[in-house]
Amino acid sequence: MHISTDIWTWVAVILTFGIFSFLWKDNPFYKFCEHLFVGISVGYTIALTWYNSVYPDLITPLFRQGKPLYIIPFVLGLFYFTRFIPQVSWLVRIPMGFVLGWASGVAIPAFFQTNIIKQIQGTLLTPGIFSRWDVFLWALISFIGVICSVLYFFFSREHKGALKVAADTGIVFLMIGFGASFGYTVMARMSLLIGRFQFLLRDWLGVIK
Amino acid sequence: MSIWERLLKIDRKIIFVVMAVLVLFPLLKPLGLGVSSGPRAKAVFDAVDAIPPGKTLLISVDFDPASMPELYPMLVALMRHAFARDVKVLLCGLWITGAGLADKAVTEIPPEYGKEYGKDVVYLGWKAGVDAVILGMGENIKNVFPVDYYGHPLDSLPMMQDVVRLRDIPFMVAISAGTPGFGDWLLYGQSRYGLRVGAGVTAVSAADAYPYLQTGQLTGLLAGMKGAAEYEVLVAKKGYSKAYMPGVAAMDSQSLAHLVILILVVLGNVAFFATRMKRR
Repeated sequence: MHISTDIWTWVAVILTFGIFSFLWKDNPFYKFCEHLFVGISVGYTIALTWYNSVYPDLITPLFRQGKPLYIIPFVLGLFYFTRFIPQVSWLVRIPMGFVLGWASGVAIPAFFQTNIIKQIQGTLLTPGIFSRWDVFLWALISFIGVICSVLYFFFSREHKGALKVAADTGIVFLMIGFGASFGYTVMARMSLLIGRFQFLLRDWLGVIK
Repeated sequence: MSIWERLLKIDRKIIFVVMAVLVLFPLLKPLGLGVSSGPRAKAVFDAVDAIPPGKTLLISVDFDPASMPELYPMLVALMRHAFARDVKVLLCGLWITGAGLADKAVTEIPPEYGKEYGKDVVYLGWKAGVDAVILGMGENIKNVFPVDYYGHPLDSLPMMQDVVRLRDIPFMVAISAGTPGFGDWLLYGQSRYGLRVGAGVTAVSAADAYPYLQTGQLTGLLAGMKGAAEYEVLVAKKGYSKAYMPGVAAMDSQSLAHLVILILVVLGNVAFFATRMKRR
């Protein structure tokens, strides 16, 4: 056993116990730790955004290197603050329109390619699936699963007859999907608990490697 | 009150204590249950293993301290694997709160293999604007990151002479805790610049990553702490590292905890149906 003498390790230990205290019940100690975490995260984000992005990419070129074109993003950025002045608050629509237009133009083709075209291609039954029996089986299961799951969300007709069978099969696939997500979520939560215990046993108490 | 009714009324604090004891015990006295590596982790390992020495592995640190237990061991294992094979490592991040974690890895891991900052490893840091950052890196990394995380101009770093844009990188792993993360690297890095992408994700988001594996968009996947442990085992098996493996060490606790949860779920269901039948 080799208890840490680092003040920051002790601070982290106290805050860890503060967060764990919520397991007993909500209390001021937990509230303090929660608010401290949120405050530090926001402060850290503001500082890093300023020093990594705003200062080197806008302030320096505009005011130190004298590049006049940078006045455009500077003014557009300032327009965001017009939300606080009702008389000119409409100006905020200009940078928002610019950002939305640019982001949509960039994202829509890429999103379509990555999440629609490629996924449809991956679902299609192609000659390649006959290379091995297990590939064929999983491709078939995926195909049936996708079709039935999509049919479950088809609400323009009453779910009866063949549509009901397909929709019910879709529910089975959806449940398997939710089950897998839940199982993984449990694993994630346990991992975080284990990580905290590793910190307490290793970094604080020094009883494990 | 019957035993089933008592089971349904167990105080949650008792379950917390049982869980805490079962998680703590294997950390103090490892059970040695072992970890086997699955095909998805092996695919990431093989892709890194196939990078020719002298070329660059890009690792995007897209997580924060909250997901550190699951994802930081992946980052460390990937860096050890790359350095053991003389592959250079370029790091960047899409999560602002991950900046310090990447810095920690860059400070601690390269010296283990005698690697120098600027020659064998470079950390670009974080920049705002996910899509603009990735698209900009596809054209010219120096346009997006004129200086690295520590303020060195990229032109002054020897490693960056050979790595101008994403097409110069044979493989990248996005270690992500959500959005932005591997999805953005697929959207902009892969679909536009043909970047080969592997992912290391938290267990929570693992199910979301599977469709991209099935279509071949993701080369491989490390899912949660288990994924990290699988990679650590592969790295150790090939003799690339003899260092302590936190992911593997945690797997005994993970297995015991899962076993208890399984038992509790089954018991809870049996108790529920037993009491319902009694009520009828």
